[in-house]
Amino acid sequence: MAEQGNTSLLSLRGLTRRFGGLTAVDGIDLDLAKGDLVSIIGPNGAGKTTLFNLVTGLDRPDAGEVRLDGQAFTGYSPEKMAANGIARTFQLGRVFGNLSVMENVLIGAHTRLRAVKPATPLIGPLLELGLALWRPASVTAEEEQLREEVKGILARFGERLLPRIDQPAYSLSYANRRRVEIARALALKPRLLLLDEPTAGMNPTETTEMQGLVAELKAEGMTILLIEHKLDMVMRLSDRVIVMDEGKKIAEGAGEEVRNDAKVIEAYLGHGLSQSAADAQETAA
Amino acid sequence: MSSWLDYTINGLILGNVYALVAVGLALIFGVSRLINFAQGSIYLVGAYIGWVAVVQLRTPLFVTIVVVALVSALVGLIIERFGLRPLQNSVRIAPLLATIGISFVLDQIVMLTFSPNPRALPSQLPDIRFQIGTGTIGPLDILIACIGITTALLLFVFLRYSKLGWAVRATAQDRDAAMQMGVDVNRVNQTVFGIAAALGGLSGMLVGMYYNQIDTAMSLHATLKGVVAEVVGGAGNVPGAVAGSLLLGLVESYGVAIFGTSYRNMFAFILLILVLVFRPNGLFASAKQAPPEPLTGTFIAPSRPVHIPRWALGIAFVAFALLPLLPVSNYVLQTLINAWIFAMLALSLTLVAGTIGQVSLGHAALLAIGAYTSALLSLDFSVPVSMSIVCGGFMSAALGTLLISPSFRLRGHYVSIATLAIGEIISLVILNWETVTRGPIGVSGIPPLSLFGYELVSTASIYWFSFAVMVVLALLQMRLLGSHIGRSFRAIRDDDVAARAYGLSLNRYKALAFIFGGFAAGVSGGIAAHLYSYINHETFNTQQSILALTIVILGGLGNVAGAIVGSVALVGLPEIFRIAAEYRILIYGIVLLLLVRFRPQGLLGTI
Amino acid sequence: MRNISRRSLVKGSLAAVVTGAAMSRTALAQSSDPITLGVSGPLTGPNAQYGAQWKQGFDLALDEIHAAGGINGRKLVYVFEDSQSDPRQSVAIAQKFVSDSKIVMELGDFSSTASMAASPIYQRGGLVQFGFTNSHPDFTKGGDFMWSTSVSQADEQPLLARYAVTHLGLKKLAILHLNTDWGRTSRDHFANAAKEYGAEVVISEGYIADERDFRSTLVRARDANPDGLILISYYSDGALIARQARQAGLKQTICAASSVYSPKFLELGGDAVEDIHLGTRYFPEDPRPEVQKFVSGFKAKYNGQEPDAFNVYAYDAMNVAAAVVRIGGTDRRAIRDAFPKIKDVPTVIFGPATFDVASRRVKGAMNAELVIRKGQFTLWDGKQKS
Repeated sequence: MAEQGNTSLLSLRGLTRRFGGLTAVDGIDLDLAKGDLVSIIGPNGAGKTTLFNLVTGLDRPDAGEVRLDGQAFTGYSPEKMAANGIARTFQLGRVFGNLSVMENVLIGAHTRLRAVKPATPLIGPLLELGLALWRPASVTAEEEQLREEVKGILARFGERLLPRIDQPAYSLSYANRRRVEIARALALKPRLLLLDEPTAGMNPTETTEMQGLVAELKAEGMTILLIEHKLDMVMRLSDRVIVMDEGKKIAEGAGEEVRNDAKVIEAYLGHGLSQSAADAQETAA
Repeated sequence: MSSWLDYTINGLILGNVYALVAVGLALIFGVSRLINFAQGSIYLVGAYIGWVAVVQLRTPLFVTIVVVALVSALVGLIIERFGLRPLQNSVRIAPLLATIGISFVLDQIVMLTFSPNPRALPSQLPDIRFQIGTGTIGPLDILIACIGITTALLLFVFLRYSKLGWAVRATAQDRDAAMQMGVDVNRVNQTVFGIAAALGGLSGMLVGMYYNQIDTAMSLHATLKGVVAEVVGGAGNVPGAVAGSLLLGLVESYGVAIFGTSYRNMFAFILLILVLVFRPNGLFASAKQAPPEPLTGTFIAPSRPVHIPRWALGIAFVAFALLPLLPVSNYVLQTLINAWIFAMLALSLTLVAGTIGQVSLGHAALLAIGAYTSALLSLDFSVPVSMSIVCGGFMSAALGTLLISPSFRLRGHYVSIATLAIGEIISLVILNWETVTRGPIGVSGIPPLSLFGYELVSTASIYWFSFAVMVVLALLQMRLLGSHIGRSFRAIRDDDVAARAYGLSLNRYKALAFIFGGFAAGVSGGIAAHLYSYINHETFNTQQSILALTIVILGGLGNVAGAIVGSVALVGLPEIFRIAAEYRILIYGIVLLLLVRFRPQGLLGTI
Repeated sequence: MRNISRRSLVKGSLAAVVTGAAMSRTALAQSSDPITLGVSGPLTGPNAQYGAQWKQGFDLALDEIHAAGGINGRKLVYVFEDSQSDPRQSVAIAQKFVSDSKIVMELGDFSSTASMAASPIYQRGGLVQFGFTNSHPDFTKGGDFMWSTSVSQADEQPLLARYAVTHLGLKKLAILHLNTDWGRTSRDHFANAAKEYGAEVVISEGYIADERDFRSTLVRARDANPDGLILISYYSDGALIARQARQAGLKQTICAASSVYSPKFLELGGDAVEDIHLGTRYFPEDPRPEVQKFVSGFKAKYNGQEPDAFNVYAYDAMNVAAAVVRIGGTDRRAIRDAFPKIKDVPTVIFGPATFDVASRRVKGAMNAELVIRKGQFTLWDGKQKS
């Protein structure tokens, strides 16, 4: 159940990013409460992925602030964001090609390593090296436990990933690679999950499966920020929908409100694409 | 003081000379995002074609220029068509290595055809001098300047205002989009290569005339300085390359003025590192561009490593361990000793270049740090040799990592350039820091290898010592690879953006890789020092670094067994084929090219 | 996908071992078998030109030795292994020679780095390592199997200093030297000797071997107000410096070390080397019979080509080696013991050569003071300018 009140998990105020003369993200405000699923939609080039980059630390905003649970996190590095429970997937899918499925997902759990990664300043890295080489029982136990967890996560995907657990990611189908990405994100045990077009390039069956997974995650209480083009999916899953165009937020509200908002329709049509119409045809098929 | 005017003029004249090479490099980088390490070889070819034209065919200057430009352009076209185009869809590391291989092959062909003796290349221009400051310049200076400026201007106009020029720029920005827009990308690449090669060859000829001397060692020198000038000016930026060259000339000139000649090259490389660290787009790059869309796809070839079953490894281990007990000649043992020592370097480099993806071209510097530390500790402080070698390893790990750390923030080819420069700087520091390293005289009388007080005198004992050390390092490395650190290294290599997004600190893990690898390299250098009893700044040089990289590619990036196999192959095979010694480097170049083209993941596969 | 296993590697190396063993199975010393010397030196790589010059010197000497009946009727031959002047390879070659019982003595390597790295192997293996162009002063300290006819810089540089200071009257010297062990040792010996003769070294600049541009270095030198420029260089860098010095307007007298002595110096330097003074260990017009025999023989064998310093060193080395083998036979220890026994072997560089047992070197190199006039090396006539 989504919490009411001012205790937002994620809070953006006036977030702005410019590239030379172009303002990619223009003064975005956003509040995401714990357990919410908010979708961000908009025509291509609206600044959605850039927004994700700003939130996850991959890029630094020129103005505005990012708050997690009330604490300022503006401009922090992606590593720090990950350590604070933010996990994301990427628009074109970024798995570690030469790593196996198991290894890919284990990387997701990196920030949770404790036994082998002491937080001691200065000599921390050297201790880490020593522990990795020596492998005392605590380290091996931690690794074993994580591996079990990974198998549990992969089980969510039925027979898609488990039988391929030791295969290198580059040898997987596109859809499987995107699933690995999600598995990796889950391994981080995030408190906030950012999904960037998780169904891009997937066929209807795969899309439905993915939709089911996202719904499952939401039901388990995960807070999710979702970028999607497939409006049907957006409507079914979201508590709220935000529409961006040319860096600005042009609408926000429940799915149906936003869909029929004149400004939104114009933004899509005006760019020469009728994404919503195309999607409507697709889901009808 | 009028001397400052002289230094300034000298710097500009020198920069003028560098500019010709730099512009060619800038062109190629601009279009294919490739640092053409073979540019110096084309330069060399141009110089020798010029010699043939001037001295043997006795053509007038204008004809010579045309001939050189045409032949060089042809060479460039051949390189592009057969050496680089097949690699278009290959992994990004492939063209980098291919140009290195091509440079070996071209250099050797010239050397074998013409002999390595330097020869004079008369300039055919009247010998009048014009007074400038207290020095003089001649018609050749003016010719070089004119050619440099004209070419830069022509290219500028061509790229900005002609249709083919737009095609070139479009391809540079986004090859796929350009292709979709109907640009014949292949023709564009060819055109650019042809022009850049013509420029390169011409500059070789002009510089040869300028100094009245050409020889086969010109090639690497030209490439290095050209790359520095180009990166400083802004890679891919033709006017920037000219400006960068002039700046480089001035920096070298003033460096000599203030500190003396022996520090000269150090300034060039320090300038490079400073630019790479603080202004990686170059000093004269145009206004801030949008950061490029993070490239998906890996830098390294996707591959399944060849699985060597444990029992096979066991048998091999036992066989090599027992070898000295068989009636084997010391020559074979010595060759294998060399192979084991090299294997330690290869292990180090395969970890750094293969596992974590930092393709370091200056790795021999880590050998040098280890070697000098061990030699000096055992000589000056009577530290027992085994301990001093270990100290050499630690020093290499610590100091090496510290010195290489400026390259951590760089990506792709820039890492290679930065590490190359850092390696050269370390070599120059060793040359000049006489109070510690004895400067050019080197360190002699280094005590022989010894263990627990026993001197290792027989070849067999040295063999067992180096074999054992190598095996221990290999096992440690395999353990590292099997741990979360190995996994983290490989993740960073495959996709550093995604790696960061999941909490992997790039600096931390790159540092760890260099610490571990530095230790192995330092130990290797230390053992070599005690084996050779004499080392100086030339013992561990850039050619070693590049050879080590070839071995690592041969074996498979990141592949421990591959590094060892590659070392035995590239150290052992040339000994078996000593008859073909003249062709050794030529063969290395061809091997590299074939590998890159047909099996970039190496014999045993990338891990 | 090929499966390269360790096994096939082991098989391959065993095969190599067997071949190696077969090759080194000694041809028992039959009296008509040639006597073999091993040469370790650069045939390819950056120093390849010197290896080629060595061969010319060796071959000329061998022609003469064989024309005079060889070594007690047996031919003397050499096996030249390409080390590229790289210590890794010189070490492997050392082991190869030591293991090959046909090899009675080794000559080389070119650079000190490569030579000294291999010394421990020669010393332990009991094979004489006879250096003749590696000039590091510590070379012979490697052991009693290390012998050298390299002219010691301690002998050579004071001669140059005397030429420059006492004979040419230069008082304020600017030294430009190669920043290698040879260049540095030479510079140190020269500077000390020059000071003893009463001159002052106003500036000393070391440069690395592949340097091309010396203009700024020359400005620095010029600003120290020298009356003479001393070049401790090889012929290619020496030629570059000379040209650029004249182009920069430097008019000081230039005096160079014997290492520039080569027809290449004239070819590469052109007009700029006119009036350059140099000390050499030999000069073609030297009436000594050894010299004349060498020069005429060289020109006859190599189509009129003028010999240079490295040709001479190699020629002398081969003659000395022959003399040693004549006394020591084919036993390696006996050869080592024969070195101190040879007396007054006729050489170009030293005249009659005898080894000093303590230092394992030959002292007393010949000296000729030359100057370049009208594009030719000529004996100095005592005048400053032509």
